[in-house]
Amino acid sequence: MQIDVNGKAFEVEVEPEMPLLWVLRDELGITGPKYGCGIAQCGACTVHVDGFVVRSCQLAVRDLGNRKVTTIEGLGSPEALHAVQAAWIEHQVAQCGYCQSGQIMQAASFLKTNPNPSDEQIDAVMSSNLCRCGTYPRIRSAVKAAAKKLQEG
Amino acid sequence: MINKLFEVSMTRSLPLVSLPFRALPIPLTSGRSSGSLGSLGFLILLVAVFSGTLTLSTSVTAAEDKVVINPPAEGSVSQQEGLQAWARIFEVASHPRCANCHTGESDRPMWSGPSYGKTRVHGMNVQAGTSRIGAETLLCGTCHTTKSEDWDNANATPHAAPRVAMNWALAPVEAHWFGQTSEQICAQLRNPETNGDRTMREIAEHLNHDLILHWAWAPGGGREPAPYSLQEHVNDILAWGVAGTPCPQD
Repeated sequence: MQIDVNGKAFEVEVEPEMPLLWVLRDELGITGPKYGCGIAQCGACTVHVDGFVVRSCQLAVRDLGNRKVTTIEGLGSPEALHAVQAAWIEHQVAQCGYCQSGQIMQAASFLKTNPNPSDEQIDAVMSSNLCRCGTYPRIRSAVKAAAKKLQEG
Repeated sequence: MINKLFEVSMTRSLPLVSLPFRALPIPLTSGRSSGSLGSLGFLILLVAVFSGTLTLSTSVTAAEDKVVINPPAEGSVSQQEGLQAWARIFEVASHPRCANCHTGESDRPMWSGPSYGKTRVHGMNVQAGTSRIGAETLLCGTCHTTKSEDWDNANATPHAAPRVAMNWALAPVEAHWFGQTSEQICAQLRNPETNGDRTMREIAEHLNHDLILHWAWAPGGGREPAPYSLQEHVNDILAWGVAGTPCPQD
């Protein structure tokens, strides 16, 4: 079957029930999305599907259809970082870093639907992505900074 | 046009808006009244509408009918038999597979029942919002992705987010079952103002077509299913209706 990831079309021969995360990592070598729990409890595998956040460990590739997948690799580029990525660096959010791809993808999607979130709204959304290092205060700061930057254009 | 979208009845014949976006849960019911989704739900819906990915449909799902809807003849079910049917209906409605997502005013689904240990609020700080699909914060469908209809063992993994061939959502505010008594749920379910303006036959048809409800009897992952069977539950609903929807408090 054919899937669209980060603007490129890929042909993959996999079991239709294979989770998207497996396809991304093991078949396509796109390793930004991480395997954390495998049961939608941690958010490390978060990607965008047609712009909406999805835990890629929970989406069978057969159910992807012709929707477009974006991973952290397709969110920005080293030369032109997404505002959330830039804020993550500016606020030095990452500690061990394992969950951060999912955190950034979650935040980037969230700011599209809520460009000026309150602290409570940020907590409501970002607490669904687990960070065992406890970087949540810096995550909140970075999300607010990214929101401001995006609003300023 | 947008106003039209939000005039869609949130309680009756259009409980769901179908989306080709299979992982995106539908804005459904506001529950309480106006059908307002709030600004975020609005935005998401707008994006979907104008990107051409959303279609409104009066068809809840294309799923095949799973049960036979054959009400008993009028006058053939006594009040006593109706009350017995209600007692079984209450067992289903109050079971964790159903009640955990019928939380009324609260927009927090619950985790309770033998497979969850201690009763607690759904993890991950989940807030379904007035949209009842998490549009204001995090969509239910982020984790409860929509699966293909013919994928039968999709929920085999313990503790994983359950999936059905339909968009995941919290029940409308009016359908408050979690922690409610038999009398309270009975009064809610027989009142057209709080049951989506449905007859008992229409409730049976709702049970037939809503795949989230089907999941309650085949939850997978070690979860305890709702009691009886979907067909027995539908039969009880129909019998209760023919008996005149008697409640224990009558």
